[in-house]
Amino acid sequence: MYNEIYKNSKIRKPYNKIFDWAKSLPENVIVKKKNEAESLFKKIGITFSVYNNFNSTERLIPFDMFPRIISGTEWKKIEKGIVQRAIAINAFLNDIYHSGDIIKAGLIPDYLIYKNPSYEVKMIGFKVPKRVYSPIIGSDLVRIDEKSFKILEDNCRTPSGVSYMIENREIMMRMFPELFEKLKIETVENYPTYLLETLKSLVPKRCESDPKIVILTPGAFNSAYYEHSFLADLMGVELVQGNDLFVDENVTYMKTTKGPEKVDIIYRRIDDQFIDPISFDSSSLIGVPGLFDSYKSGHVNICSAPGAGVADDKAIYTFMPEIVKFYLGEEPILENVKTWKCYRYQDRKYVLENLQKLVVKEVHGSGGYGLMIGSQATKKELQLFKKKIIEFPENYIAQPILSLSTVPIFSKNDLSPRHVDLRPFCLVSAKQTKLVSGGLTRVALKKDSLVVNSSQGGGVKDTWVINE
Amino acid sequence: MLSRTAENLFWSARYIERADSLARLLEVGYRISLIPNTESGYINEWESILETSGIKDLYLKKYNKISKEKIIFFLLFDSENPSSITNCIKNARENIRMVRTAVTLEVWNAVNSSYHDLEINITQTKNVLKELPEIIEWVKKQVNLIRGTILNTQLINDGYDFLILGTYFERADFTARIINVKYFILLPSVNYVGSEVDNFQWSMMLRSISSFRAFKWAYGEEEINYIKIIDFLILNMTCPRSLIFSIEKINHHLDRLTKFYKQNSLAKSKVKLMYNKFKKLNADTISDLGLHEFLKSFIIDIDLIYRELEKKYFFGINQ
Repeated sequence: MYNEIYKNSKIRKPYNKIFDWAKSLPENVIVKKKNEAESLFKKIGITFSVYNNFNSTERLIPFDMFPRIISGTEWKKIEKGIVQRAIAINAFLNDIYHSGDIIKAGLIPDYLIYKNPSYEVKMIGFKVPKRVYSPIIGSDLVRIDEKSFKILEDNCRTPSGVSYMIENREIMMRMFPELFEKLKIETVENYPTYLLETLKSLVPKRCESDPKIVILTPGAFNSAYYEHSFLADLMGVELVQGNDLFVDENVTYMKTTKGPEKVDIIYRRIDDQFIDPISFDSSSLIGVPGLFDSYKSGHVNICSAPGAGVADDKAIYTFMPEIVKFYLGEEPILENVKTWKCYRYQDRKYVLENLQKLVVKEVHGSGGYGLMIGSQATKKELQLFKKKIIEFPENYIAQPILSLSTVPIFSKNDLSPRHVDLRPFCLVSAKQTKLVSGGLTRVALKKDSLVVNSSQGGGVKDTWVINE
Repeated sequence: MLSRTAENLFWSARYIERADSLARLLEVGYRISLIPNTESGYINEWESILETSGIKDLYLKKYNKISKEKIIFFLLFDSENPSSITNCIKNARENIRMVRTAVTLEVWNAVNSSYHDLEINITQTKNVLKELPEIIEWVKKQVNLIRGTILNTQLINDGYDFLILGTYFERADFTARIINVKYFILLPSVNYVGSEVDNFQWSMMLRSISSFRAFKWAYGEEEINYIKIIDFLILNMTCPRSLIFSIEKINHHLDRLTKFYKQNSLAKSKVKLMYNKFKKLNADTISDLGLHEFLKSFIIDIDLIYRELEKKYFFGINQ
């Protein structure tokens, strides 16, 4: 197990100052600051909503004030690796919705793509604006040892959490301004500006003037609603719901107090199937009838493109190294976590023989569904998964049970190690691919737990990239 | 501005005004229940409170008979009553939450914390009748706080106009309805003129819209009579609860919107006609026309103006 703050039982350089600072804090300061921070979060309204009848309880994501630190050198590698991957992902999407060269080259079995539930047949042959399918990519990284960050998964549809990255920093700056004077911490506050530039560059074919950009949200009851309104506010664009938009003769408009106003670019935070009840799920009440036709006729751009999700599918994930090499002719800078593909005989044999040492994942599952951790599974579960793997090998992959790195958290008046991961947010515009120096660090607050999801007791930390 | 944003702003302000009006109505009810020997009097009063807020049928469906504790609970906290103060504040907050970024952080905080405090109020209230004065005070304070924050912190742009319009459409409607429910006590009657009953009823009515003292200031210590009350509640520009006051505000803010958007609206021309008509009216004319008829047609007209406003600004389609 790798503890990020130590090297040979000495404090590692990036953590030196912060460790001394944390150790020198008078007792109870953290408890006090924590209360202060929580009331700030509540006041600003950074909450997740849980509704039941009258009582809407609004939950805060637990925030730990010991920062996660990444050195400038480490960050450079992460940045390069993420940018490389984001470019490859978009090239891959462009290929599989057109000529399918990577399939013809025999690198990926065709059924893994064409039969993938996230593959959108209606997108075949359509030229998306600037060939950018997925302009916002949030890849989850884990650190195994001092040397290597590895990519655990990619999120190409509508990754969330970026508002926490920004607000966590705001809170830290208000709580401990002295730290920001002493240390050279890279800022993350440019993210909304970059996001706006990125969206602005992705103009559809039939947009003659300055593009009108909106964010499309499922509504105030969505758990990420705060993030949607936060981004709209910081970018100065309208936050719309499906019924604020309508399509007339393939042109998309929003209803305003001045009458209809043409919309050119939609940053949608709703899933593919809900976008348009005419073209997709007809029971969708949050979509816009006719929007997909408006999109395909080049009047409006939808970001990310429908069908972009196929690239973050777990079955495709296993091919990322090949995808990077195929389109960029480069070796991947960031490695995948070692993955066994059960449809391959050798892999399957290994998996079946070593189930207890592995995490088995259903390829289309997400959010912890269809997942089995071998070391914690009962005999019955092991048997069940064995059977499933033999029956539908192409539906399963397996990975070693990862020991995520740890970073201390403030626990009572002491420091105590907890497992963390990292999600940087990469932006792909028509001209460039970039990210702000930072990301969202999620932390498992329960001792020894490896689950960092906020729905299961996870919290967040501010993430600092410090240039030495 | 997005049509829905305008609509959410309008309705949040409208719900806040409604909560305020209800609190004042309840205050009168409470006052009357403290006066001895008015057993039948207070029953009538509670009934007319239900009528004014337009929820008498709903109440009777649930509770069958008039009981002051039940009515108070119904008006304050009952979630099944769409116009309870609780639901008004809840709706105001939901509307603001939908357009969180169209208001300042201060306005959001004022509305948001009212809502959270209300939840605490509900769970801590043991005896609604006994604690009514504190609860009413609290509601009025919250409303004033929210409104003050709007005045002090909002940009004076189109969003501000919609907030103010929501307030005055609600107020115009409410004042008209409260006079209408009580119009019979304003009728000149040989038996009543100058009697104790008259004075009592009139003062209660003035109190229900918080204008008792204001009336005294406006008309001095002269004898109260119904013509003066009609004048005060309908035609007096200095009384913030009078109909003409609300009409003037609606006229002003609709005018601002037509200039701001450089587009005319039917709502604007209609309210302008109404305002000009009101300026020429006097209380005797209204009395001759028949107060009840006058109010009835006012309530219909102001609603028609609202429909025009809705069509123009909230539906987002060209006319």
